[in-house]
This record gives sequence, structure tokens and C-alpha cells, in this order.
Amino acid sequence: MSASTSNDTSHAADHHGDHDDHHHEIGFLQKYFFSTDHKTIGIQYGIVSLFFILFAFFLMMVMRWSIANADEPLPGWMSMFFSENWRAQWLNPDGTVKGSTYNMFGAMHGTIMVFLGVVPLGFAAFGNYVTPLQIGAPDMAFPKLNMMSFWLYLPGGLMMIASFFLDTGAAQAGWTNYSPLAGLMQSGAPNQWMTGQTWWLLAMVFLISSSLLGSVNFLTTIINLRAKGLTWMRLPFFVWAMLVTGFLLLLAFPPLEAAALMQLSDRVFGSSFFLPTGLATAEGAVAVAGGGSPLLYQHLFWFLGHPEVYVLLLPAIACVAEIIPCNTRKPLWGYRPMVWSVLLLGFLSFIVWAHHMYITGMGPGISMFFQTTTVLISIPSVILLTSMIISMWGGSIRFTVPMLWATAFIPMFGIGGLTGLPLAFNLVGLHLHDTYYVIGHFHYVVAPGILFGLFAGIYHWYPKITGRSMNKVLGHLHFWPSLIFINFLFAPMLIQGMAGFHRRWFNGGDAYLPTTPDSEDVFANTVANFIDLNSVMSTAAFLLAISQVPFIFNVLFAWVFGKKVNSDNPWDATTLEWATPTPPGHGNFTFEPAVYRGPYEYSRPDCEEDYLPQWHEPRKKAEVTASADDAKKSTEASKA
Amino acid sequence: MDIPFTTTARKDTGLYNAKLGIWLFLASEVMLFGGLFSGYVFLRVFADFTWPERALPIIPGLINTFILIGSSVTVVFAWASLKMRKWRQFQIYMAITIVCAGIFMILKTIEYKAKFLHQAVKMKDFVILEGHTHKFTIDSAGHVEEYHPPGHGGHGDDHGSGHGDGGHGEGHSSLASEGLHLIADQKDGHGEESHGDDSHEEHAKSKSDPEYHNRIFFEADTITVSLETFYAPFIAELMAQAAAKDGVEIKVTASQLGRIDPKKAETIVVEEGELLSITDLKKYQAKYLEAKSQNSKVKTAQARDAWARLRKDAKGPARDIKDQLEFDESFEDFLVQYPQTLTYTISPPVLFHLDPRKVDESPERARLLDGTTLGGQLDSKHSAIEMAIDAIDFSDVARRAEDRDRDPLVAIENTWILQNNPEIKKLWDIHSAKVAALDEELLEKHGRDKNGKQKEEATEVERYRMRWQDIINHQVGEDKMGIFSGFAGPNHKADYAKHFPNISVPREEVRHESRFTPRWNNYYAIYFLITGLHGLHVIGGIIVLGYFLFFGKKMYLNNPERMANRVEVGGLFWHFVDLVWIFLFPILYLM
Repeated sequence: MSASTSNDTSHAADHHGDHDDHHHEIGFLQKYFFSTDHKTIGIQYGIVSLFFILFAFFLMMVMRWSIANADEPLPGWMSMFFSENWRAQWLNPDGTVKGSTYNMFGAMHGTIMVFLGVVPLGFAAFGNYVTPLQIGAPDMAFPKLNMMSFWLYLPGGLMMIASFFLDTGAAQAGWTNYSPLAGLMQSGAPNQWMTGQTWWLLAMVFLISSSLLGSVNFLTTIINLRAKGLTWMRLPFFVWAMLVTGFLLLLAFPPLEAAALMQLSDRVFGSSFFLPTGLATAEGAVAVAGGGSPLLYQHLFWFLGHPEVYVLLLPAIACVAEIIPCNTRKPLWGYRPMVWSVLLLGFLSFIVWAHHMYITGMGPGISMFFQTTTVLISIPSVILLTSMIISMWGGSIRFTVPMLWATAFIPMFGIGGLTGLPLAFNLVGLHLHDTYYVIGHFHYVVAPGILFGLFAGIYHWYPKITGRSMNKVLGHLHFWPSLIFINFLFAPMLIQGMAGFHRRWFNGGDAYLPTTPDSEDVFANTVANFIDLNSVMSTAAFLLAISQVPFIFNVLFAWVFGKKVNSDNPWDATTLEWATPTPPGHGNFTFEPAVYRGPYEYSRPDCEEDYLPQWHEPRKKAEVTASADDAKKSTEASKA
Repeated sequence: MDIPFTTTARKDTGLYNAKLGIWLFLASEVMLFGGLFSGYVFLRVFADFTWPERALPIIPGLINTFILIGSSVTVVFAWASLKMRKWRQFQIYMAITIVCAGIFMILKTIEYKAKFLHQAVKMKDFVILEGHTHKFTIDSAGHVEEYHPPGHGGHGDDHGSGHGDGGHGEGHSSLASEGLHLIADQKDGHGEESHGDDSHEEHAKSKSDPEYHNRIFFEADTITVSLETFYAPFIAELMAQAAAKDGVEIKVTASQLGRIDPKKAETIVVEEGELLSITDLKKYQAKYLEAKSQNSKVKTAQARDAWARLRKDAKGPARDIKDQLEFDESFEDFLVQYPQTLTYTISPPVLFHLDPRKVDESPERARLLDGTTLGGQLDSKHSAIEMAIDAIDFSDVARRAEDRDRDPLVAIENTWILQNNPEIKKLWDIHSAKVAALDEELLEKHGRDKNGKQKEEATEVERYRMRWQDIINHQVGEDKMGIFSGFAGPNHKADYAKHFPNISVPREEVRHESRFTPRWNNYYAIYFLITGLHGLHVIGGIIVLGYFLFFGKKMYLNNPERMANRVEVGGLFWHFVDLVWIFLFPILYLM
């Protein structure tokens, strides 16, 4: 690495072609920690983000306990993760979960899952590892920037986690961090710089900077470092999705950074960007100038927030779109429409944000506009999903473990998408806003949808990354229970949501139960009818946690003890990453990669195997002309 | 391994990597500043207060604009010099660019500093007073002196709120004669000059602390510290203020009982008469938290035990059976006990001065943010905000009156400041007369429209705001401050500053007060945020371009084209920084 670095700065002119000095030994730290190799960075992102996902999953289990068993002490096996002092502060004396703790865990579950878990796993980990390989590049365009991007992400993430141990605890105002709630929460603390809400904002500044550097790097790499012959319409769909994701991150995150800076200023400098005049809390009037606008925060947040949904989604779709043609041994159906759809999706995602804000009173005109664009955006999404279903039609499908996950992705994401349609309409929003229906909807998109797609990706590229295969039996043990329990976890949410269950009830609705047996309070009776689903969902959540154990085992053990793959291309795939040695060395390719055809040339009748990789040179010129002549003759003959 | 296209452009895209990268980066920057500019528009359009217009000095801003534009030109020359392989010329142009950036930052710093010194108060009745809390006073002969703040409780009259026109000279001299010790003065007489070296230090500190005139003065005889929440720097500050006065002791008022070992009887855990110390507090805090976690451990075990027994025979959801829980009381033998708060007595009582934002005061109690509570007596007279006024704005009063269909002039007459301060009242009368004369003049000049409405009349700002020039002109009785004086802010060290009325604003009349910082209103908030971020970009540019200038020679010799590319990319960034300013200048300075 140091070789390439010094090469970058001073030896570029006189060291061309001199490759020998680039392969000298590099130190342990530089190889595994401060690496500039896109593959190492991709793995770093992958490991760290999986840890964050696990952590956020654990936060969710504490919340689920509180929802289903609000009156019972947190069981010992869960509370053993907390220190005694922490427990004394954040649990009630009798060991039950405090409302504020529920809020804190809820806010941080969302934040960590979205900003520290799924985006880094999908975009940064897969994107880093696979993109340069698929476009035939030796590395990212700016390797040092790539390293910096990871080393901004990690401190940002650790800062989020560290904020749990501040006196005030971590942020508690929801993952959306709406002002004025977020602006005023913990504002009584003697030192504003040492509060969880402030640390949330500071950590976000780190994460946003990291994603800015990352997206600049990805876009430059994709646009400028494509191998010879890799024209735009020969790009694998994965790369297209990464390109669009890169643009979304590049353009959508900065407004959130602006909002974060404004909120930071509200908290530590006492300004009133988001604090309106006449604001009062339980402690009386708030001593600020006022005159600010809470709506401004929501606009800035959702200007990021909605594209962010597609930042989560596109990498998962990208993985699935690679896995399906490979395992059905058929070209991806409708490659071009899919490319145009993903571009359109990227564009439209910038003009739908206010559908998160129907009940803020923006006015019917604005609501109507966003309602229309929201319905429009379902068109490209449906094109993507339908193309993938049709791709499977009539294929001789190999149900490998990655293919299982990819297959499950389609209906699961489909449910997520379809349950979103009603939410596009502002009238329905009146009823469903902030209920469990919304929670169910976006969790169907993110958990069984996106995470399944990313699991598929992990199983698919694991042999390339490590040179060893993951265990098939453990893969099945991971997949089937996950599929079942995740549905038991999220489907009841849709039902509860339609019954009016609010997403922020820390005790799952106990407080709204009828007070007398013959109560005629309709809402109380509805709550009574559906409250028992809480236990179903919480049980499913715990079982879902157990179903992840085989995966953790599989990833760790296969790395060392897994069966060695005996080919560089174990799945018989066509894209360029399978042309590299396994695992790929520094600089990736052992030959100068060149591309001669599109990315999904499966089941071609004119070649011996059922696939024709992008990098295989066409037959000799003479043969080609001969066959072309043949073709010409035959067409002429047919014309005649 | 070589990354392709680091120096040469890729044929089909026509770009080398860094150039593509910087364009993408700038696109992101456009979105960042776009977000902030949209914020500006949103806040300004929906503002429910009078948005300050042309509140910043225009001339320095204009100079800055030209400086940045100039540096944008020189950075291009620097790049062109490299392209022509003229290193020396590159050095000169790049140096000019960086010097320009430095001048920009210096002007900006001066502008910022003026804001940090300027005080504003919004009264309960929405009158806005602007000025300086006393840092300087000017005696009747025009000499500038450091202001001597109050501190002697036993002093007779300070300048009250209502001294008349000639009164301010007197007010100053009486202020000047008031002793200088501030920090922990006793009530017992002002003649005492018993400062040790410590108090000399404090005295020096106080001079440079303009906040001093915006402080809560509280004479305390007890301190109650919350062991769980106390914040050590606050306690340290109180101790420092007390220590500045000789012979003050802060001791535990009464012994506190506690039981750390559940098997033993209660013992004294904190002795009466122990001196306040942060080390001790931290020790007690640790013990308190230990006791708290022991107790919750016991209670949790008790609850778990009760649930386990209940679950044996009762089925169903927890909420249905929780009423049948039976707690085993034997667990309670393991509960421990430790005091939650400690009360200290201060003898003799000390006059503390406290930051108004960190304290919630009432006549007999002052509670700090960390839960520490002072008992004693509020010195409300000295807690008032003392300031020299350089502008008074009645626009919000007028606007609110008009919204309620009331006569704005009556509303203004009824404000606290005009009712209680004859000097200001006199200024306002002069001002009203001038506005009336101006209206008449405009009527004569432009006449009325067909609806009988005056075509041109005095603007809202002219009508309801007495600017610092107006105040001086009204005081002097002639138009001393011409139109050109408007290009810079009021200078409280200048000779004319003696005309600024001194007033004392009692805290109960104040709705909101602040320096001209983000706290004051959203105009300053967005001003500081955008210009601050822009300033950081300028500093970033200085670092990057400076790096090229001072450390670029080696690369220039190795690969001059690559060096030129780097300067081109840095220059693109610099153009962007310039462009942001070109948008900032009109919206913040001119509109």
C-alpha cells in the first residue's frame, strides 16, 4: 500500500511499468487497518456494519420486551449486558424498562440500523468490494480517500455507541430527530456538548463526511475507471445501481448536514432555527428567541430521508439482480428498462420527500404534488421487481443458498412496496400516520427485503472474498427460520397499525386498555382486541435472533474451515469480478481486463458452455467473418 | 499498481480523476449551501419578528467581495503559470491568492468581534434595545475609562433607570467612583480595601469580562448540592468566587446518616462541619450511586422472585395477572441508604455573580442547571442589565399593535422604557417630530394618490427605529452623523459615544437578551452559520493552496503537469468559495 501511495504523489512520472517495487511486504497495521485497498476496506465496512446491525437488533429486543412484557423485569440474560450503575439509572428499580430508555433505544435502533448498519453494508461494503472488480479497475480512483472514508465512519459510529454512556444517555427523540423535541431534549444539562442529542448530531457530521467522500470516490471510479470495452450499456446492473446510489448520497445528504448544523447551533449556541415563538414545555416558557420553523427541519431531514430509502434499497436490488441471472442461467430480462428505471427512481426519489409530512399542515396543494410523485415512483420500482420475476420465468433455477435469499427478497420486498401504496395518499396518512402500519411497512422493505438481498450478496460473494464456501446446511438453517419468524414479526404490525396502535407506546398499549369490563370506549376495545399480538411479535423477534446464530457461525467458521473453492468462478458467472484470482490480490487483475460483451450472456446457443463471460475474447477474426458470412447468406436465403 | 487517469484525461469522459472528483464534490457542496440558503429563505419569509435589514457594515463586506474575486483571478494566473512551466510566477500569484484569503479572514474576524460585543435586549413589551453592556464609560470630558461595576451591596444609589438628560454624566462619575472589587463582596461596607493578591487577579479578570454587567447577583448563605447530578465545574466556580473573599468557609450544615452495609445500623456518613471540596463530593457521589444500584439490584431480584412464583400457577399476559404479585418482604432487609443531597452553610454569606443562562433565580433561591441550589437573597438591583444604548427599535411593538387594530403610537407611548426613562422619552419625542416633518415633506413632494393616501411616506425603519446616528443627532440637536457614518457600526470608544444613554434594565422587564450571536435572532443565527461555514471553507482553501505553494516544488520538478492539475482542482474549489460569497454578500449585507 505504501508503494502505491508514494507512487501517487511523487513517482508517477518515472515509474510507469515498473511493477516490481509495488509488491514488497507491508506492515500489519497498513494491511488490515489503514489499508487503502478497496477489498480490505470493503471487508472492514462489512464486519463493522454487521456488528452495528447486531447491536441495533439487541436494542430492538429490549424494546420488544418492554412492549410485550411492560410489567415484568427485564430477564437476566438480557440485562447482563448492562453495567450495574447503568441499570440503576436506566431501568426502573423493579427492573422493568423505563419509558425514556425505550425512547432512547428506539431512536438509536433506527439511527444505527440506517446510518451505521444497512447503508454501510449495502453501499460501502458491497460497493467497495465488488464495484471496482466488476468494472475491471485496479482499485478505487482515490484509494487514500477511501481509507479516510472508513476512518470517518468508524469514529462516527463509535461516538453514537459511546453516547449511551453519557450522563444524559443517548439521543431519545426518534431516529428522525425532529425539532423542537430534539432541540429541547436534554437541553437542561449543564454542559450541552456532553449530551446524547448533541453527540448524535456530531456523529452525524462524521458519517455524512464519510459518505460524501465515499460517494465522490465511487462515482469517479465508475465513470472514469471502467475497463476497455466496458461501455455504459455493458455495465452490470449492480454497477448501475451503485452509480445511482452514489448520486443519491452525494446530493441528498448535504441538506441533512445543514439541518444537523442548525440543530447543533440550536442546542449549543442557543439559536432558534427550529424553535417557534411561544414554545413552552412542562417547565414553562422556553428561554429562546423563537421565530424558527419546525417544518424547516422536517423538510431538510426528509430531503435526505427519502432518497436514503433508495440508498438502502438499491444495493440490495443490485445484489439480487446479479444473483438471479447467474442462478437461473438466463440473461437478466429487460436490462435496459431496468437501467432506465433505476435512473428514474433516483431522480424521482428527490421529489417525493414531503409524503412523510402529510399531517404537518403543509396545505392540500403541496400534498397533492407529493402524492402524485409518490404514486409515480412506484412505476420504476415495479418495473425492477417485475423484470426480476420474469427473469426467473422458464429458467433452470439452481436453488443455491444465495438464490434462496434472492428469491425470498422478491415477495418480501413486494409486500413492503405494496403496503406503502396506501401511505402515498394523504387521506390515508391521516389515519395511519405514526402507527404500527408504517413501522410494518418500512420494516418489510428494510428487514425481509433489503437485508435478505444483502444476505444473498454475502453468500454469493463469500467464496470470492475468502476463497472458501459457506456451509450449505447452516445456510438453510439460517434462511428458513428467518423467513418464517420475520413474517410473524412484521405482519401483525400491519394489523395493529390499522387498529390504531401508535408506534411510540413503550408499554405496547397497556395504558389504553378499557378500564371497566363493559367499557364502551371503541378505541380501548380495539386495543384490547389486538394487544395480544404484541407477544406473538416479541416471541418471533427472539426466535429470529436465534435463527441468526447459524449465520454467525457460518461466517466465522467458513473463513477458516470452509471448503476451498477450486475455481475462480465457482458460480459460472459472467461478470468481471470472477475473472480475478481467488481471493483477488492487490491490484485485482492478473491480466489487462477488457470487455467484449454485455454482462448477462447466459445460455447462449453459440458457445460450448451455457455462459459467456464478459472478458472472454471473441473467436478469431477469420472465424467471426466466416460465421458472419454464413449468417449473411442465410438471411439472404431466407429473404429469397 | 497504478490507478489510471491520475494525470491524463480519459478519452471518452475528457476528465482526469481529480477533476471529476472535485466537480462531484462541488455538486455536493452546492446542495449543502443550497440547503442553508433555502433555510434562509424559509426563515425570512416566515419570520414573526422584524428581520434586520442592512444590519452589517457594507464597506468591509464589499472590500471582501472584491478581494475574493481578485483572488479567484490570481489563482487562475497561478495555474496558467504552471501550464507555461513558470514556477516563480506561480509562486507570486499563489502568494497573492493566499494573502487575499488572509485579508478576507481578518476583516471577517473584526466583523465577528463587533457582534460578540454588542448587546441586545428584547423587553416584555417587544421594545428592542441595542447597545453595549458597560465595558467602557466616557466621562463628561470625553475620556474613555474602564467601567467599574457594582459590587458593594451597601452602596447608596447607583445610577437608576431614570436619570435625565444631563444625568448620564453624573451617572458615569458615580459609577467610576464605585470600588473595583466584584467577586465576593461582603455586605459590610465599601471602604474596606482588604484585597489580597487573589482579589487583584480577580479584579484584572473582571475588567476584561464584559459579561459582568449581565449577571445575576445572589447573596447566598447555603448551598445544596445534588450528589447524583452536580457538575464539578459549577461547584468549582462557586468555590473560586467564595475563595476570593477572605475568611469564607463553606461547611456541611448537619451530619448526614446513611447505611452502606445492610446488616449494620445507620452511621454518620458525612460529618457536620466538613469543608466543601470537589474530591469529597465525587467520593460521596460514588457511594450514593453504589447505594442506588444496590437498591435497584435488590428490588429487581424481589420483582423477579415474585414473578417467578406467580408464573408457576397463573397463566396469561402479564398485565392481567400483575395484581396477584406477592413481593417477598425479606428482600427489603438488603436495602441500603445514602443521602441524596448535601447542604452546606456559607459563613459569612457571599455575594455570588452567576451567568443568567445557567441559573433559575427567585428572590430567595437560585437553582443552577445541575440542581445545585443556593439559598439566600437575590440582589435584584445589581442583577439588572446595565447598558449604554445605541439603538432603540419599536417596530415589533408597532407591528403587534397594528395586528390588533390598535394605534401603534399609543402602544409605543405605553412601553416600559418610555414610561420610566425621561431621557429616552425625550429622544422619542424628538424622533416623532422628525418623522412627522419627514412625512409632511414627502407629502409636499409626492402628493397623494387617487385614494387620498400619501404616495410616499416614512419607511417603517425610519419611523420606528432610532438608529445610533439618530440618537446622537437627537442628543446634540443637529445632524452630526451624516449618511456616510452608516457604513460602519457604532463605536463605543469614539468621542460620540458619550451621547449614548446609560440605562439599567430590570430583569423582570426582559423577555430575551443576548449578544448579537445566534441566540439573539434567526437573522444572526443564519448569518453566523453560513458565513462561519464559508469561513471554514476559506481556511480549508488557504491550507490546500498554501500546501501547493510551499510543498509543491518537488512534484513540480517530477511531474509538472500533475502539479498543474492539482492547482486547477484547488482553483475550482476556490472559485466555488468565491461564488458562495457572491451569493452571501447581497442576501446578508444588502437585502
